[in-house]
Amino acid sequence: MAELSFSNLSKQFDGVAALDSINAQITSGEFVALLGPSGCGKTTLLRLTAGFEHPSAGEIQIGGHTVAGAGQFVPPEDRGVGIVFQSYALWPHKSVYANVAYPLEVRRVPRAERQARVAEALSLTGLSDLAQRMPSQLSGGQRQRVALARCLVFDPRAVLLDEPLANLDLALRASMQEVFSMFHRRTGATMLYVTHDQGEALALADRVAVMAAGRIRQFAAPEVLYREPVDCFVAGFVGDGAVVSARCTGQTDGARLVLNVLGQEVLSRSATPEPSHVSIRPESIAISEDAPLRARVTGCTYLGGQFRLTLDTAGETLVAFARQRARIGETVGIRLQDLWAFRDPGGVITMQRALAHA
Amino acid sequence: MKTPAFAKGGSRSLDRLLPLILLPVALIALGPVVRLLLEGIGFGDGLTSAHLATVLSRPSTGTALLHSLITAGGGTVLSVLIGASFAFLVALTDIRGKGALVFCLMVPMMIPPQITALAWMQMAGPSSTLLKVLGLAPPLGSPQPLHSPGGIILLLGIQHASLVFLTLRAGLRMIPADLVEAARMSGAGSLRVWAQTVLPLSMPSLIAGGAMAFVTALGNFGILAMLGIPAGYATLPTLIYQRLVGMGPSVLPEVAVLSLLIGAVAILGILVSRYVLSRKGFGLVGLSGNPLALSLGRGRGAVEILLWGFIFVILGLPLFALLATSLIPAYGVPLTFASATFDAWKEVLFIQPGTRRAYGNSLMLATSAAAILLVISLPLAWLMERRANRLSRLLDALIDLPYALPGVVLSIACILTFLNLPFTDMTLYGTIWIILLAYLARFFVVMLRPIQASIAQLDPAMEEAAASVGARLSRRLRDIVLPLAAPSAAAGAILVFLTAVNELTVSALLWSSGTETLGVVIYNLEDSGETVMASALAMSIVLLIVMLMGLVQAGAKRFPKGVIPWQS
Ligand SMILES: Nc1ncnc2c1ncn2[C@@H]1O[C@H](COP(=O)(O)OP(=O)(O)OP(=O)(O)O)[C@@H](O)[C@H]1O
Ligand SMILES: [Mg+2]
Repeated sequence: MAELSFSNLSKQFDGVAALDSINAQITSGEFVALLGPSGCGKTTLLRLTAGFEHPSAGEIQIGGHTVAGAGQFVPPEDRGVGIVFQSYALWPHKSVYANVAYPLEVRRVPRAERQARVAEALSLTGLSDLAQRMPSQLSGGQRQRVALARCLVFDPRAVLLDEPLANLDLALRASMQEVFSMFHRRTGATMLYVTHDQGEALALADRVAVMAAGRIRQFAAPEVLYREPVDCFVAGFVGDGAVVSARCTGQTDGARLVLNVLGQEVLSRSATPEPSHVSIRPESIAISEDAPLRARVTGCTYLGGQFRLTLDTAGETLVAFARQRARIGETVGIRLQDLWAFRDPGGVITMQRALAHA
Repeated sequence: MKTPAFAKGGSRSLDRLLPLILLPVALIALGPVVRLLLEGIGFGDGLTSAHLATVLSRPSTGTALLHSLITAGGGTVLSVLIGASFAFLVALTDIRGKGALVFCLMVPMMIPPQITALAWMQMAGPSSTLLKVLGLAPPLGSPQPLHSPGGIILLLGIQHASLVFLTLRAGLRMIPADLVEAARMSGAGSLRVWAQTVLPLSMPSLIAGGAMAFVTALGNFGILAMLGIPAGYATLPTLIYQRLVGMGPSVLPEVAVLSLLIGAVAILGILVSRYVLSRKGFGLVGLSGNPLALSLGRGRGAVEILLWGFIFVILGLPLFALLATSLIPAYGVPLTFASATFDAWKEVLFIQPGTRRAYGNSLMLATSAAAILLVISLPLAWLMERRANRLSRLLDALIDLPYALPGVVLSIACILTFLNLPFTDMTLYGTIWIILLAYLARFFVVMLRPIQASIAQLDPAMEEAAASVGARLSRRLRDIVLPLAAPSAAAGAILVFLTAVNELTVSALLWSSGTETLGVVIYNLEDSGETVMASALAMSIVLLIVMLMGLVQAGAKRFPKGVIPWQS
């Protein structure tokens, strides 16, 4: 296992920036998800790490050694990094067994040890009965597991996965997510997992790097991303809820600020003394008839156990949870509590641009 | 952590060495052509345009050029008529047995032209064994009707119809189905849709196919020589041949100019076809599909009979005639059950040292060319697809040239280049190696393109996956690229073999006693009146070709699209 580190990493394709000054440290054994809209550079970062592309600037280190940048370049075959492709990239002319055994053949692992390790990798991924099949005789989920087995069989220093579940149906995705979690627990491998499905990222990863337009916006644990987004983009992209502009009143209450949001004075957690926006999660909205802030119900869907309401107030769209069904067009009172404020002037516009671009 | 941290050393050496193969390839494939160009401006005797002026102002040059243009032009018109009729009927209507029909239409393309000419001559004329059997032979002494410009045009037209057919059919497949459906919705009948929508849209492919047929006809030495030389009808390739054979290497500067002339006409044709094809993409967006499934109704049977009848006339009859001639004891003797004999077959296959040697030479040359090209083309195709740089792209664009240029042009270019090996006193002229080198240059694309196509279709992730698990370039090429490209490589090798084994145009100018090829021997046998033996030899080659074509056809499903020339 090895830690990964990117410093000032940039990549341009024909002068157009795909990655812009990426800085990140991933500790050994960590499971990190790269989350972001399409075209934000996730695959590019992965391919740079694997060694399929050369960086335009900056440096990549694996296990403390520079593998790219600073005048050095270690080719993919010498990086000891395993990769699982979205298209699986199984070799169609080799059986499942031969696919999984190939990394060991290349390394000249003695036959007996090779057989033992292939058998272990196959049983870990539940493929023991399919060893003699050809890839064309497998289902999508089975192919994905062969790709995983092929990658774990040689004990890579890090494992890179590029949207490994994008081609699978929902049920299979859930069970494959468990395979990945189990695989991570068993091997303790450093894993970098690309996805544009936030549910997958939040469920699997120790930490999530949210990317937009070639930059990492925030790199933090899932609960931190949800509760304390650093800007409008992250607040809007991760989790449910709304981003609304806020005005400072200059008052504080202990560690909290008193902000003017939607014409109400509310208490808010904040990382800065002069925030510009608040993130309003559904849990932050309490519905009560006597509350002064009035909102019109514009949508109501049942989520199992509770209803998800979309509310319109002062031209903003909020999301709240409710015990009871609400009629569309009905007016309800809402109270805001426990908001998170951050400073991102002009942020809503850039967020919309980033999402529209996706 | 079982892998050592970043093994260093010779890991990238192959990555650095591989691009070096571009150099010899460029030298062998394009060197002779460049050398020929230099000759035109008087390379060696100082810059001069003297040769150019004398040769070009000679009346015989003008006549030969005119004859070349007439025969190639007439042949092209005929090819377009035949090829287009077949393409429209096969692609747009519901006739049955399309696969077999296409295969048969392609056979003339794969049969060497001198054999085509020989077969047709056995079908017409006063000594035709077939006509004698049927009692239809014209009286002795009447002229062979094919020894004429008309005969040349007829045969050129038939031989290259398949080129037009293939290009047009590929173009027809690109026509979006919804375009045709839209026309039908607005009430146009099938014929009207064909005339007003399909025909205009397929014009570019038709023109491109015609240009290809023209260029190929221009350099079709076999037919021009077999039919034109006896008729005293000189074209540029036969003029070059006769001058060089008659006078020897001393006329090289002069024939170089002639070959530049024919090369220039050919390149003009190629440029026209490339230009037309490059503009073909105009607005053809939408789902392509079967544009028209025109039902012929009652007429279907009649059309099928017509098509098969035509195939019989252009393919069946000449081959029957050839077979008939190969079975008689001596030329002029009528064929009966009593007189039929395999003597000529025995003679050419087992007894005559010349023909046996030619078989040996041709098989050796074809096998070596296929094997060498196979070994070079795989890494080369990989390089061009995966590590394209300016040199490889240039080579990619120009490597068609030795194949597209008329064979005599390449032969003259090779003689010029290898007559005196640069920096030595040695010469390759008169040895078998000069033929081999010329074959390598000429058939490079035949091998390269199929492999390129299959590597282009290969998901790069296949190789990246191998790299990420630790396989170096040489192993990736061997374990991943080679097995996956093998079917197309095999198809390419068989195609090279097929084309090389019958080749006449290049070897006609490069052979010398002992290095004759099959093409040369057939031509010489016929030239010296040994028509029966020529027919037997030709027939044995036709069998070999059809067998090899069948072999490729049998494996057709395993090849990527576009690899087999007779399937588009
Ligand atoms: N080989 C390339 N040549 C040119 N541009 C490229 C290349 N690869 C990626 N790009 C560009 O770089 C940007 C980032 O691409 P990348 O594939 O990393 O996006 P992504 O985040 O993986 O998107 P997705 O979720 O759709 O897979 C895109 O704008 C893309 O067009
Ligand atoms: Mg991607």
